[in-house]
Amino acid sequence: MSKKETAAAAAVVQTPEYVPVDSDFVLKNDESALAIDENFAAQSFWKDALIRFVRKTSALVGLVLIVLITILAAAGPGMNKYSYSEQNLNEKNLAPRVPGLEKTGMFDGHETMKTSSGHTKINSYVDKGLKDVYYWFGSDNFGRDIWTRTWEGARVSLIIAVAAAIIDMIIGMSYGLISGYFGGRVDMIMQRILEIANGIPRLVIVTLLLLILKPGMITIIFALMLTEWISMSRIARAEMLKLKEREFVLASRTLGAGSFFIIFREILPNIIGPIITQVMFSVPTAIFTEAFLSFVGLGIPVPQCSLGSLISDGFNSFTTHSYQIVPPIIVMALLMLSFNLVADGLREALDPTLKEM
Amino acid sequence: MKKYTIKRLITSLFTLLVIVLILFVLMKLMPGSPFNDEKLSEDMRAALYAKYGLDQPVIVQFFRYVGNLLRGDLGVSYNISKNTPISQLVQTRLPISLGIGFAAVVFGALVGLILGLIAALKHDTFIDTICTIISVIGVSVPSYVFALFLSYEFGFQLGWFPILFNARKAFTSSVLPSISLSMFTMASIARFTRSEMMEVMGSDYMLLAESKGLSGRALIFRHALRNALIPIITVLAPLIVDLMTGSLVVEKIFAIPGVGSLLVNAIQSNDYNVVIAMSFIYSAMYILIMLAVDILYGVIDPRIRLAKKGD
Amino acid sequence: MKKKKAVVAAALCVVMAGSVLAGCGGGSASTAESGAAAGESGAASSVEASTDDLNVMVETPVESLDPQQATDGTSFEVIADYTDGLMQMDAEGKPINAIAKDYKVSDDGLTYTFTLRDDAKWSNGEPVTAKDFVFGWQRAVDPAVASEYNYMLSDIGQVKNAADIIGGKKDKSELGVKAVDDTTLEVQLNVPVSYFLSLMYFPTFYPVNEEFFNSCKDTFATSPDTVLSNGAFILDDYQPAATAFHLKKNPDYYNADSVKLAGLNYQVIQDSQTALMNYQSGSLDTTLVNGEQVDQVKDDPAFQTIGAGYLWYVTPNVSKVKELANKNIRMALTMAIDREAITTDVLKDGSIPTYTAVPLQFATGPDGSDFSGDQDKFKDVCAYDADKAAEYWKKGLEELGIDKLSLSMVVDSDDAPKKVATVLKEQWEKALPGFEVTLDVKPKKQRVEQLQDGDFELGLTRWGPDYADPMTYLGMWYTDNPNNYGLWSNADYDKIIDECTKGETAQDPEKRWTTLYDAEKIVMDDAVILPLYTQANAEMISPSVTGIEFHPVALNRVYKNAVKAASK
Repeated sequence: MSKKETAAAAAVVQTPEYVPVDSDFVLKNDESALAIDENFAAQSFWKDALIRFVRKTSALVGLVLIVLITILAAAGPGMNKYSYSEQNLNEKNLAPRVPGLEKTGMFDGHETMKTSSGHTKINSYVDKGLKDVYYWFGSDNFGRDIWTRTWEGARVSLIIAVAAAIIDMIIGMSYGLISGYFGGRVDMIMQRILEIANGIPRLVIVTLLLLILKPGMITIIFALMLTEWISMSRIARAEMLKLKEREFVLASRTLGAGSFFIIFREILPNIIGPIITQVMFSVPTAIFTEAFLSFVGLGIPVPQCSLGSLISDGFNSFTTHSYQIVPPIIVMALLMLSFNLVADGLREALDPTLKEM
Repeated sequence: MKKYTIKRLITSLFTLLVIVLILFVLMKLMPGSPFNDEKLSEDMRAALYAKYGLDQPVIVQFFRYVGNLLRGDLGVSYNISKNTPISQLVQTRLPISLGIGFAAVVFGALVGLILGLIAALKHDTFIDTICTIISVIGVSVPSYVFALFLSYEFGFQLGWFPILFNARKAFTSSVLPSISLSMFTMASIARFTRSEMMEVMGSDYMLLAESKGLSGRALIFRHALRNALIPIITVLAPLIVDLMTGSLVVEKIFAIPGVGSLLVNAIQSNDYNVVIAMSFIYSAMYILIMLAVDILYGVIDPRIRLAKKGD
Repeated sequence: MKKKKAVVAAALCVVMAGSVLAGCGGGSASTAESGAAAGESGAASSVEASTDDLNVMVETPVESLDPQQATDGTSFEVIADYTDGLMQMDAEGKPINAIAKDYKVSDDGLTYTFTLRDDAKWSNGEPVTAKDFVFGWQRAVDPAVASEYNYMLSDIGQVKNAADIIGGKKDKSELGVKAVDDTTLEVQLNVPVSYFLSLMYFPTFYPVNEEFFNSCKDTFATSPDTVLSNGAFILDDYQPAATAFHLKKNPDYYNADSVKLAGLNYQVIQDSQTALMNYQSGSLDTTLVNGEQVDQVKDDPAFQTIGAGYLWYVTPNVSKVKELANKNIRMALTMAIDREAITTDVLKDGSIPTYTAVPLQFATGPDGSDFSGDQDKFKDVCAYDADKAAEYWKKGLEELGIDKLSLSMVVDSDDAPKKVATVLKEQWEKALPGFEVTLDVKPKKQRVEQLQDGDFELGLTRWGPDYADPMTYLGMWYTDNPNNYGLWSNADYDKIIDECTKGETAQDPEKRWTTLYDAEKIVMDDAVILPLYTQANAEMISPSVTGIEFHPVALNRVYKNAVKAASK
């Protein structure tokens, strides 16, 4: 109740001796309106969550973006004649040139080169006599098409990130649930292990692992998994502590349910909301960690690429051919943004207490 | 509280010891040896192993190392800076990383908090969108890109700040590295503050406080922010450790003599002692900060303080 | 390897009495295109010298300032800034007197007697005496010090008893070096070593003051207070593994008048873009530039390329990988490489495509010509020819009875080798149908270890010359040489190498020279290695600076004759 209404109520009280008459009370006389009885109980939790999710525009935008990027990551590399690994040293470092748009002077393949004598505008397509050659996002140091590589990289990054996040979820969730459920000494030991695992710098673990194992996507997923499960297990444990003394757990236990039945069949479905949200948040983290590994030179083996390795390649040409770093950065930023938006949307959708602001 | 703190300290020490042991085993698993020059012969390498006692069994090395550690001796570097005591390297480098990291944490946390607060108070408006975009850029662009961009624009083009770190101009030359380091923290804190504030403001006790007639600043700062702070500190704590222990990429770009590049170089050149020492410092800081956070919780939230008395 | 080197070195000394040698320093001092920097220090003296420091950059931090412990280029360069040995390098890379003012060689070539100048002082005021050299050299061979470059005294320098002391068989006091009096140093060698003088500028042979050393003990050479200078500069600001350090002019240097710089301001910069920004903003006087940046600066008069001496090559593991034991496969691999494209389109730093097993510009023959000057002589077996490569490939696959082959190549994680490997992979896969290469990118230390252990299929590696003779390369493919990573073995080849080291040919420089070509021909014809290029560095050197001396090996940059013009 806001203050204004309270004030109004006070005003009514001050009005002296009002005697109500019959005309003050009339039937609303709208049978149809009366008949409508919104029955929330009829809707399942998930349907309800879906409705809440769809109502949130930002989350929808995020979802659409993820779908769009996924489609492009799947189909993008096939949309022109170039392959992600084929080099053409004669056509290297060409600025973006797009058919149609080139007439506007924007994407016509020119770039400004800063030489020691000043800025010069050059168009390597014209200089090299390349007439019908179009690199939509430009070409890199080896004459590879950045468009193709960006989507190829997005594909690799998405696979790595989603796989790592799902494996994290399984391991971290189980660990957290078990630790939280049993409590006492089990919890104490499991938490010490966690503390130790967390105390060793990730970089040390990950680089060692990449040095020992054969480099490749599986190794990177494994390395990410090793470091990312911890935060997941924390959340699962916290949720478990909240729920394990609840009546339905007690009921299940008195009915003779075993510990693992209670953990995975009774409690897990009740905490799936925060877990899914955490997965959504850990996807961007995984993309980021992979990017860092690329920077240290331990990323995906060349000529394969990921968004991270593309950014670190582009980084090396930042002051010379700055257009090379732009596409992977934008795709990465959009992915990060959309995963975060979806995660936010999910959190609000799955946790109705947050709903009314 | 005192009993709890002591108990935590003892377990922390034990944890640290286990970490050192694990690091020792990891180093043994590491392929390659620290002495590995193209021009180095087998005999020479054996002589070097003998010189540093690396020919002993791991368990002997471990106990010797722990013994030295307790006396404050972290060993010498094999590679990065030959025969230099690591404690000397740490003494000169850690303060620099701590300084830049601390500046980054303070800057990131403050700006993030303010951005998050504004976004939460004006949620679903244009300002909120702007804040969201800023924080998304912060979490989605790698810090080395920020670092290079900042040094190019503000260092090279505009000439406002030095491009390289300079111990004699420590303050001005720390500005750009600190800002590029703080972007991620800032963005995460902003996002987190926003969602926590929205959650707290939607809660029953806020409604109560509001209906009691509290308004404006008191409501936000005394009630809402204080309650939102606990989860924010939880998020901030590990970020602090990451920032204070140096960042390879930013150190590389600004030529900062910090500890981040030391660790990476050490890993890549198999400088065992340096890897173990740096990891040890990292772990110790991590555990210490976690401990501090736990105690801080008690200060902010009396309920936790009470709960721990029974522990 | 040590044994081999001993033999080689022993022979060299007999042979090369006449030839001009730069020893470990390598031959030509500089291949600077504009030639502005090197060798003009005389002319530059007319320019008014600036009182500013010279601001220079290095890519890696100093690993050690202990002359007997240092092994990397940066450390050598900095140590030589403030320490003089018996000899130093001149602009051409030849040894010139430094602390030694005179020397005598006995007729049998086994005894060197150096007379030291009496005006050389350490920066604590003590004179530099022969004892300091004895102490330094003994440290170098002391097993307790375990100097990684001790083979400079034993195998290469052939100093008497050095090998036995390193092996623990004799005490270090028995080393064949003696301080007759304060200014006379007598060195005994096992065999005559003609390039012995040019070893003297190598930091492993630098003097260390014993009294000062004992006063520092474990902290020796870790701070400005724990190093002594007897050279052109004094280290006045330094911390271990620092990213910036400073040296100032040494006023008590015996040759202080010729030092024009007020000081040297070193900055360690790993990122080349940051380095170039610093150069362009004026806070650096010289900088290295790489790859794409060359396009931006190649028309600048300050741009130069400077030979770095290294040969980069691919080594196939012929003993462990049966497909690579097939000569046709190896021929196909080497002929499918477009080396010109690698150097002009990818590296751009002035590296020279190399079609010989010995790199260019370091070994000069009896007639004064570069051993590898003629790059066409093996072109028929390694020049780029995709059609011929495919032919060899087809033949090789048929012989092996396969139609596909996939191999992995181990590569350094540094920028340049990674780029080169990426191009190699593409060139091979394009030219050779059914070939697939995976790149195994590892930090350099791991890469070296994998090669040494024979744990590789193809390896991209490099080798810098130890002394200015083709043998520093050709000796590598001798059976059982530890750097013969692929374990290739050929009796004829071993015979030629033996002949040129111990046999009669060793006594006849001209004949030896041509015989070495025969050995190289065997290596090339059999495609034992796939040479790629001779490395060069692209540098920007501010036009106001002259007289910086560049050398491919040992002391990469010498600044003491540099002059920086005063800014107006």
